[in-house]
Amino acid sequence: MDKVKEMLSELHSVCADPRAQLDAALARGRKAVGVLPYFCPEELVYAAGMLPFGLWGAEMQTSLSGRYYPAFTCSLLHTALEMGLRGQLAGLSAIMVPLCCDSLKCFGPNWKYGVGTVPVIDVAWAQNRKTEAGEEFTRARFRRVLGRLEEISGKTVSDGEIAEAVALYNENRAALRAFSAAAAAHPEAVSPLQRCEAMKAGYFMDRAAHTAKLRALTEALCSLPESPRRGLRIVTTGILADSPALLGILEDAGCTVADDQVAQESGFFRTDTPVTADPVVGLARRLGLAEGCSVLFDPGKERGRELVKLAKAAGADGVLWVMAKFCDPEEFDYVPVRRMLEEAGIPLLAVEYDQQTASFEQARSAIEAFAEMLRG
Amino acid sequence: MADILTMGMDVGSTTSKCLILRGGKDIAASALIPAGTGTSGPRRALEEALEKAGLKREDMVCVTATGYGRATFPGADYTVSELSCHALGAHALDGEAKTVIDIGGQDAKALCLGPEGKLLRFLMNDKCAAGTGRFLEVMARVLEKDVSDLAEMDALAAGMTPISSTCTVFAESEVISQLAKGADLCDLVKGIHRSVAVRTASLMHRLGVEAPVAMTGGVARNAGVVRALEKELGTPIRVSPLAQLAGALGAAIYGWRKQGERE
Repeated sequence: MDKVKEMLSELHSVCADPRAQLDAALARGRKAVGVLPYFCPEELVYAAGMLPFGLWGAEMQTSLSGRYYPAFTCSLLHTALEMGLRGQLAGLSAIMVPLCCDSLKCFGPNWKYGVGTVPVIDVAWAQNRKTEAGEEFTRARFRRVLGRLEEISGKTVSDGEIAEAVALYNENRAALRAFSAAAAAHPEAVSPLQRCEAMKAGYFMDRAAHTAKLRALTEALCSLPESPRRGLRIVTTGILADSPALLGILEDAGCTVADDQVAQESGFFRTDTPVTADPVVGLARRLGLAEGCSVLFDPGKERGRELVKLAKAAGADGVLWVMAKFCDPEEFDYVPVRRMLEEAGIPLLAVEYDQQTASFEQARSAIEAFAEMLRG
Repeated sequence: MADILTMGMDVGSTTSKCLILRGGKDIAASALIPAGTGTSGPRRALEEALEKAGLKREDMVCVTATGYGRATFPGADYTVSELSCHALGAHALDGEAKTVIDIGGQDAKALCLGPEGKLLRFLMNDKCAAGTGRFLEVMARVLEKDVSDLAEMDALAAGMTPISSTCTVFAESEVISQLAKGADLCDLVKGIHRSVAVRTASLMHRLGVEAPVAMTGGVARNAGVVRALEKELGTPIRVSPLAQLAGALGAAIYGWRKQGERE
């Protein structure tokens, strides 16, 4: 158990100070590229010898970003821009910005105007992601992204190097899936927050190092005796569910995260990149295969069906939707997905969250009441 | 079990309610102090209820705390969310109620009840204070009235001055503008109540309204809000004289049930 605690503590430290990871990479002479959510082809950054550095915002108050974004923009982008404007992301050689929601489409121009010193790489992918034409469009755009990365890194990237990066990322995804299952089986050893941090750390570390750490952690977890504790099993969904306060409330209410459909968590590891002759085709195809995220074009709302399936497979007592405040795609998904859960008889609680939230008492009441309701 | 005493303490954001229950059914005493969490209110409510009943705290088999300040109430045997307690309390006050609206000092909740007051699903308002007791207090202050005067003023209104905004701060500005135009105070109060009703009805429609509908919480004492809400929902709303004590009652019932499980 001590070994598990020690490793979880190390991963916590990574999340508590991501800047230290960035500084360490820069000190070693490795360039770094900021990667905004969602579905950016990080593998291309890695293949170009640079560190992909996740930009998922931060729990902070903003003052400068309000010059560029209205108040009703999601806090993830407000705080990511704020960090750039305050110089907290200095050292990045570029940032990758996917153009998959209205607020993200404005991020690049806002960044260029406000930050200026760090170039922006726009990452466009096809909305009609499952069609052959869509895949070809995405492939072509990813090739263009690769070109920009080659200019920034000063290195020509071979297809072999991309394929190696794809394999390394797929290994990381497999390690994350194994860890997720082990953490759900051992709630006495891994709290909801620790589970989240172990996953989130991968956005700031070298993926190979993250894989090694996760494998060791999973092995240590699997060697523990079977857990006698049976709290409430919850599946989380949303964009982000990394708030220490919110996850602490979940733990206090006796809940375990049995699985998730959170963009920051399984949104990264649920779907592998297919191995293809042209590895960039595989990266484009992954977008067509992925499900369960509100920014993906999903006319049949597979997200809801996937969530029902996940909740049933995990033996979940209920679903917690951590609703990102001012996130239109999430709010559009809410009604059809809620109906699908209702039809399947799966209780749902939605709790609104943004990274500037200072008081969680209302969320505490809602989560505690939800837990009491589930216990009957 | 028939004679055991359980205490429910509902520490709200603006009021503290204490209720002593005998045998899980009969109310031995209750107290309501208009001071909430972080004040002397909870202690005073407890002392007053004990004094009325002629009992000591040691006579209680268990104390269950609920409400916004439940976690900081000293010496509670159980802490339970106010949503579960209002569901239990509302069911005890009106066994037929299927939907409950609870508007307290700081938030509003819509509850769907199952058999024996079991909470089947619920919705809470967002973080904004609009549509809550705090909203009415702010408006009463602007009108230089006491919040307890609002129901009567509503009844005297000849018309209604609509308050379009449901944001407390903007609505306050709107009321001030209407005052500057010389709007009738009673008509303004009616408009304020309608604003609360519209917001509350929207919360209830999201949950699904199944009659009979009951209302609990401090705002239930305001007949003007109740009437406006009945109009919005198109269904009568049942209000018990003990509506404001529903949370404390539910807490006391919860404690009694827990004791039953233990024995």
